[in-house]
Amino acid sequence: MSKSDSLFLRLSAQCKSWLRAITHRSSLESQMDSELASHLEMLAADLMRAGYSRQEANRRARIALGSTIVHKDEMRASVGLRFWDAMAADLRYAARRLRRSVGFTVVASISLAMAIGANTTIFSLAKQLLYERLNVAHAADLRLLAWNAIKGREAVHHIWGDYEPYPNGRVASSSFSYPAYQYLRAHNHAFQDLFAFKETGGNATIRGQAQPVQFEMVSGNYYGDLEVHPQLGRAIQPSDDATAGAGAVVVISDGLWERQFGSSPAVLGEIVKLNDVSLTIVGVNPRGFTGAKNVQESPDFFLPISMQPLIYPRSVRSSTSSSLLDAPQNWWINVMGRIRPGVSDAEAQAELNVQLSAVVRATMPVRPTDSMPQMDVRDGSRGLFHTQRMFAKPMAVLLTMVGFVLLLACANIANLMLARGTQRQREMAIRLSLGAGRIRLARQMIVESVLLAVIGGAGGLLIGYVGSNIIPKLTGNAWERSEFHVHFDWGVFVFTALITLCTGLIFGLFPAIAAARTHLNHGLKESSASVTRRRKGWGGKSLVGLQIALSTLLVVGATLFLRTLASLNAVDVGFRTDHLLLSEIEPPARQYPPGKDMALHRRIIAAFGAVPGVEAVTPAVAPYVAGEADDTDFLPEGEAYEKDKDQSQFYNVVGNNFFSLMGIPILSGRSFDSRDTATSGKVAIINEALAKLRFPNQDPVGKRFTTDEHNNDGHSLKESAQWIQIVGVCADTKYTDLRTPPPPQFFLPFEQQTEVGGLTYELRTRIKPEAVVPDLRKALQQIDPDLPLIEVRTQQQQIDSDTQQERIFVALTSSFGMLALALASVGVYGVMAYSVASRTNEIGIRLALGARPAQVLQMILREAMWVSIAGIVVGLTAAMLLGRAIKSMLYGLQPADPLSFSSGALILIVIGLAASWIPARRAARIQPVEALRHE
Amino acid sequence: MDQLELLQGTLDLLILKAVSLGPLHGYGVLLRLQQISGQTLTVQQGSLYPALYRLEHQGLLATEWGESENNRRAKYYQLTTAGRTRLEVETEKWNRMAGIMGAILKTEAEPA
Repeated sequence: MSKSDSLFLRLSAQCKSWLRAITHRSSLESQMDSELASHLEMLAADLMRAGYSRQEANRRARIALGSTIVHKDEMRASVGLRFWDAMAADLRYAARRLRRSVGFTVVASISLAMAIGANTTIFSLAKQLLYERLNVAHAADLRLLAWNAIKGREAVHHIWGDYEPYPNGRVASSSFSYPAYQYLRAHNHAFQDLFAFKETGGNATIRGQAQPVQFEMVSGNYYGDLEVHPQLGRAIQPSDDATAGAGAVVVISDGLWERQFGSSPAVLGEIVKLNDVSLTIVGVNPRGFTGAKNVQESPDFFLPISMQPLIYPRSVRSSTSSSLLDAPQNWWINVMGRIRPGVSDAEAQAELNVQLSAVVRATMPVRPTDSMPQMDVRDGSRGLFHTQRMFAKPMAVLLTMVGFVLLLACANIANLMLARGTQRQREMAIRLSLGAGRIRLARQMIVESVLLAVIGGAGGLLIGYVGSNIIPKLTGNAWERSEFHVHFDWGVFVFTALITLCTGLIFGLFPAIAAARTHLNHGLKESSASVTRRRKGWGGKSLVGLQIALSTLLVVGATLFLRTLASLNAVDVGFRTDHLLLSEIEPPARQYPPGKDMALHRRIIAAFGAVPGVEAVTPAVAPYVAGEADDTDFLPEGEAYEKDKDQSQFYNVVGNNFFSLMGIPILSGRSFDSRDTATSGKVAIINEALAKLRFPNQDPVGKRFTTDEHNNDGHSLKESAQWIQIVGVCADTKYTDLRTPPPPQFFLPFEQQTEVGGLTYELRTRIKPEAVVPDLRKALQQIDPDLPLIEVRTQQQQIDSDTQQERIFVALTSSFGMLALALASVGVYGVMAYSVASRTNEIGIRLALGARPAQVLQMILREAMWVSIAGIVVGLTAAMLLGRAIKSMLYGLQPADPLSFSSGALILIVIGLAASWIPARRAARIQPVEALRHE
Repeated sequence: MDQLELLQGTLDLLILKAVSLGPLHGYGVLLRLQQISGQTLTVQQGSLYPALYRLEHQGLLATEWGESENNRRAKYYQLTTAGRTRLEVETEKWNRMAGIMGAILKTEAEPA
């Protein structure tokens, strides 16, 4: 038997025996009794045999055995019960003490519950957004393929997917061409297999009802590789994906199944339409599976990638084929795989990098100056993990802030306990003199504080549960159904339990040390002790100073975010936002090829314009402040095309009435009007910013330019280049979002386009915008029953959703700030009240010697003020240092915003004064005679 | 002959030895120790039970309730496999120790 084996055996034996002792306590006690009794009896019997009388034998036996009480105590110690018994006694005593001071217990546990609850809520959210893994077996083995190249020189030109510039001048993407995926899959050794998927949106008709859906096109091996098994029916199989256009089948999400089909098993075999293609439902995904792209929400449909040419045909103008599956130039598909056991990421990356270069050179034209994509093997256990880019920083800020709130609550309770601990010096001294160990006294204090923390933690868990149910409601937008919800699971519970325990230990530490340091003599004499206790108050005051500092920090932080929101709300977007309704319509390209789409849109515009309550309607390619951007080359006459220079500008394609409908003033020249038709000369309007940038010190009206007309070699203009004449200059408007200054932009008339695909409809209404929606749906249904209105929202809702994160931040950080202020005022009040109470004697003498009550009042307030000021200075310094980290989250102000800082300081001074006012007035009202008799 | 007090830490070994000869109840352990030692060892009767409980807690002894010689219920202790291993190890240790101690104490001063 090896040494570790025998140790393990012994430990497990001890554990079993200990558990048995605890769970069968009464039978253990009776066993000990009867064992000792039978020993006595047998001993006495032997003694009687030796000739003693029964009485004498019994007496001698008892003497020989000794005190059974002591023996039993040692027997209990032998099976490890002594610590347990002492702990149980400590707990009982602690519970009794907490019950006796109800006020303290209530205040302390409520403030703890709030602080722990806030931490639990934010943690559960952060966990959901940043740590949750895909709900598939062995998610840790999954890797996501991505690549990066030098920005502006990348060999890949057509990317449909993420495109993330890095600060080091490179740019990264996780999109691949389908031929590249097939090559990598065929030549890969580092992975067990590679599978591909692409998530996007489309129009579905389910049981006669047209609606927008999200769908994921997946490779045939997707389900097998992810080891996901449908709860009903079958998964997508390699055979579904064998040839382009084959496999008109769909697996639906659990959410859609429940929402649209009432979880009926009869759903299998039903036909649904997606972008006007009929698909047969063959399976239902398991609950909790969200696809490979993200862990938050599941797409509604999963279908074979072979359906791409039908479901999501490529724009026909730029190519002869509607299929992306044989297009090496188009990079759009996401690739993941399970890495082989024992293969490191670096090895896999090196191997795939060679193959990636090979497939790029083999399938695409690469010029010597082009930057080849470098393979980047990433963690795939969280899908594409866009949430990290969006939320890592905000969540870090929020977690830091709630952490401070918790620290503040700890300081608060430590302070209150310390004050009570001083009152308990007598008790401690008596227990010491009766023989209690100092460790034992310290442990008593720790047990008390942990018990308090557990009460607070239970409350915190409750608050956290409620909070984590409310938070997702704040994150959705006003017009879309959101399935995002925060899992309140074991991880969250363990987190809460851990911080509760830590909290109890932290705030119990000070009183525990104080208790262990009790001096026997001092403690018993103290009641008539010194006149001033300034020095002893130091520990309490530094804790209050810490509380003030933390509150200052939190209040300043909240003010910064509040002012950011105010600045954003005050932003002038440059157009009229009231009574403006937005909606997208995306005609499927297969059914509405170029030309037909224009005719469709013209019909819809006419139909919408006739709906009662609608004043005017205009199409637009880019809705504003919606995070959408369209740009294309803008080459004024006389300017040469340069491959390495970014000559593109934002643009919009709009109706002739766009400028009057939106209330955007024309500064010079003219607006679009009925003269501008499909057959008239091409015209455009540019905004002031573009005029300044590209036509400095010139009148742009009458100048000509061309768009996106260079040849694929990237050097010369096409022979067919069409010149567009600028006819007017309009005022600037915001484009993608509120924060970015109005960018240069040009406008092309919808009437002069030959194809547009999907459009945003912008409607100015005479009545409440929402009121016209049902009539719009009816009008659209008469034109094409399979076309849904997508993302119906008012312009104001659209703008509000841009500031949504800021509003959540303001709501959360201000509540943290308020909580901090409440905690700090309790702290200041507590410490000043205690200080006044223990200085009653001193104040009495001062008053007896002729001090005026006003002077006493001032003295106490001054003392509180110094603590506050010290705390505020520390807090502002910390805010100054930490503020730099949140610079990018602010708008319209600097991190060291003087207004936020001074208002934070002012609030804390007022709180400090207000909280010490009552104790100060109490001190001023002390009657000298009573104060001296008080002893 | 004078009775000897037990050396510190030897009670556990003696109990293991006593019980290795056959299952015993607490009083039986006491009697057997006195019997083997020829009445030369004093065992504090009070320290016997905490030691038995400790050994049981460590999994070296197993217990069973049974009938005693005079028809009383009594708790019988007997060695477990782990207990037997421990007894062998401790015996070996003790013998080496005793040998070393003996050798040291026998040493006489070298004649100058």
